[in-house]
Amino acid sequence: MTNPGTGSRTAGSGGPVVSVRDLSITFPAMDGDVNAVNGLSFDVPQGGALGIVGESGSGKSVTSLALMGLHRGSKARITGGLTVAGTDVVAAPDSAIRAMRGNDIAMVFQDPMSSLHPQYTIGNQLIEAYRTHHPKAGKAEAKARAVDALDRVGIPEPARRVNSYPHEFSGGMRQRVLIAMGLVCEPKVLLADEPTTALDVTVQAQILDLLDDLRHDLGMSLILVSHDLAVVAGSVDEVLVMRKGVAVERGDVRRVLSAPEHPYTRALLAAVPRIEVSRAQRRAEMRADRAAVPAAGSEPEGAAPVAEAPVTKASGDSGELLLSVKNVRQKFKVRGGAFGRSTDFYAVDDVSFDLYQGETLGIVGESGSGKSTLSRMVMRLLRPSEGTIVFEGRDITHLPERQLRPLRRDVQMIFQNPYSSLNPRMTIGESIGTALRVQGERDAKKIRGEVQGLLERVGLEPSHYNRFPHAFSGGQRQRIAIARALILKPKLVICDEPVSALDVSTQDQVLRLLSELQDDFDLTLIFVAHDLAVVRQVSDRVVVMRKGQIVEMGDGDEVYENPQHPYTRQLLAAAPVLDPDEAKSHRAERQRMRRQSSTV
Amino acid sequence: MLKYILRRLGASALLLLVVTLMTFVIFYVVPRIAGRTTEQLATMYVGRAPTEAAIQATIERLNLDQPLALQFWEFVKGIFVGAEYTFGNDVVQCSAPCFGYSFQTYQEVFPAILDRVPVTFSLGLGAALIWLVGGVLVGVVSAVRKGSFFDRIAMGLALAGVSLPIFFTGQLALAFLVHSWEIFPNAEYTPFTDNPAAWASGLLLPWLTLAFLHAAQYARQTRAGMLETMGEDYIRTARAKGLKESRVILKHGLRPTLTPILTIFGLDIGLVLGGAVLTEQVYSLNGIGRYAVTAIVQSDLPVILGVTLFGALFIVVCNLIVDLLYPLVDPRVRAAR
Repeated sequence: MTNPGTGSRTAGSGGPVVSVRDLSITFPAMDGDVNAVNGLSFDVPQGGALGIVGESGSGKSVTSLALMGLHRGSKARITGGLTVAGTDVVAAPDSAIRAMRGNDIAMVFQDPMSSLHPQYTIGNQLIEAYRTHHPKAGKAEAKARAVDALDRVGIPEPARRVNSYPHEFSGGMRQRVLIAMGLVCEPKVLLADEPTTALDVTVQAQILDLLDDLRHDLGMSLILVSHDLAVVAGSVDEVLVMRKGVAVERGDVRRVLSAPEHPYTRALLAAVPRIEVSRAQRRAEMRADRAAVPAAGSEPEGAAPVAEAPVTKASGDSGELLLSVKNVRQKFKVRGGAFGRSTDFYAVDDVSFDLYQGETLGIVGESGSGKSTLSRMVMRLLRPSEGTIVFEGRDITHLPERQLRPLRRDVQMIFQNPYSSLNPRMTIGESIGTALRVQGERDAKKIRGEVQGLLERVGLEPSHYNRFPHAFSGGQRQRIAIARALILKPKLVICDEPVSALDVSTQDQVLRLLSELQDDFDLTLIFVAHDLAVVRQVSDRVVVMRKGQIVEMGDGDEVYENPQHPYTRQLLAAAPVLDPDEAKSHRAERQRMRRQSSTV
Repeated sequence: MLKYILRRLGASALLLLVVTLMTFVIFYVVPRIAGRTTEQLATMYVGRAPTEAAIQATIERLNLDQPLALQFWEFVKGIFVGAEYTFGNDVVQCSAPCFGYSFQTYQEVFPAILDRVPVTFSLGLGAALIWLVGGVLVGVVSAVRKGSFFDRIAMGLALAGVSLPIFFTGQLALAFLVHSWEIFPNAEYTPFTDNPAAWASGLLLPWLTLAFLHAAQYARQTRAGMLETMGEDYIRTARAKGLKESRVILKHGLRPTLTPILTIFGLDIGLVLGGAVLTEQVYSLNGIGRYAVTAIVQSDLPVILGVTLFGALFIVVCNLIVDLLYPLVDPRVRAAR
């Protein structure tokens, strides 16, 4: 294998620590075998770092499980060569595989919330990991190791925290614990499968920085598996791009990201939302694309009767005040005191903003920032504890449910999870048409016609009307969700993380669709997301939220290019970037900020 | 933690009071709603010879002519501090947990129940041990060897177990295992202190019969729970550490599976300790359940009332024990409290 200048070869001694030759993994299925991985080959030198990138179904997770020998006991069939630290994973007996797991190669999993046993202390779980491979080690020695490992990954007060249970840690801290569990036997390879996907941006940056530190300090090899090119960019030497079980491109990270050879890699790169691209640039780009391919819009004239803008706002001119939120607070009771006494917790605390006709307001924040609560308040799914919400000049803060009906027509929501937000027992046509029926439409033929027109408009087939949700992919389901939101020609659509569950390329398509529809339907959008780059691309104005409060609000470009609040700066520094060198300078910047805050 | 215990204790006491109130309502208020007069109601509590004088005495004794609140107060007072009854010229002491006197035997109800406690407890605790261990064991093996011959047979048997009532399996066991084939000794109760071997052999068949029903349910629950648990991410983590499969199953898989089973176990054992009605009846064991059946047949209201409250007490107490054990089993409960 030609392995152009990974740079880390020098750190290695001898051959590769992980070697994969012509690996194929098949799963028997009802209608023939499914090839999850096909003819995959790669090496990881000792101390080197490889990024495996691919969208869902690319075979990257199957590959990483196979590296751990975790395919054993499943129906998967493996052919080819797979050697990890001298162990032949395909042929070795189970006992040899067990000796390898955790000792030579350790794995960090995607979801830190569910990957730790909830009923044992983290100390118990770490000690177990150590003693499995060091049966002669005493309890005290193993515990000392566990505390060391926790200290190494930056858990404060490790000697005390070692006795805590997983639920007493945040998501980011749990991921650190999992990494510590991987480190406790000092393996040669650390395999991280989407280690940051479930985490907030700032936490993601911390975990990636930690993995990078550990790799350099301990001389471990790192295999970083992700769907996101930007996540691996700053942390690996070499990248392997997978698609449908096949490696389409492999090479030095700088080369792959700056001069991709394979069209799929190019498409993937183009789809990654970039934080440095402004809303105006992106919009101009999309409109140009759209004008260039008139047929792709699927005859906007034909869809026009459906797509008619709301008549009341015939002026269509932006600038009219649509929604005004003033000093709203949302109180939740938190149980915990003696005898069920509860304390108050403000999920949204004194938030005010105005929203004008035709604009998009982006709300960014990490988990617990109150962004979802806020959107539910605007929907009046929650009744604000304090403050007022005025929609089209009408105070809706305390309207009773009955009088909210017209509001339900005017304000629609698109939810995060396209898998659980559609009723699996209703055809999508019914799902979309229900809203019309609820609002009083009786003519079944008319409903069907409208729904089919809209299905076409969001890029699906009218004949999909009678299919059930399980027949659709995530991206298609989100299109269905969009159609359902638009069927009533709402004035305001609230999108709550509409693309965060989707692959990058699908995400890009859905964002384009939203942007087109906004033009055609004269929509006003509130776009809630944790992804800074996505929010920048769609928003005219941006609100940054933290712990229920707005820390910064302003014109999109202004917030991104000249952030005023330290938290905004912190968020921006944490956002993953595609350029490996820039990623490294961001890492240095984060380390500087961390040192500063620790000395203060 | 102390607060949690105190809260649970308080809740249990309150629950018992509510149960007492409901029992009182069923026995003393519902008949009135159904249209009985005070005299007719008193007649139900007189016993075998409802003379005019006896009825009047009963009205007085049970305060049936007083307001309901006072009646309830006297009822509760009787349970806690005992009562004094006057039968003509005789004054009879009914000591602390006073549920009154049986119409049939003129014995105090509570001591009569206490006499039968060893039988019911021997039966219930022994069977509970068998069904818990047996059911969980079968469930775990079935889950681990899902789809195997053992799994199919075990689950088939379990389905039979949950669908066949005890009076059926019990009679069958008596007819074949005891009488025709003489594999098992006949069921009888010998106090443990007299002869432990006889105690065990005499109860063996009732234990197995009672345990079969519950074990079947536990095996199914354990299997389902285990299958779910073994698909969890933390099981994958455990395997990724390099643990042996047996340890993955027994340490990481079993504990979360047992947690919900503990809850059912608390309920079931409370129910059985309050009287394993069918089993005791089938095997003619003189336990609380059989006492209740006899009382029901003879409309011996004070006994029915006493057994009801006694059974409720056991369910509440067993639930309390489970509630107090729960934080030890599942640390997340400790945080939520």
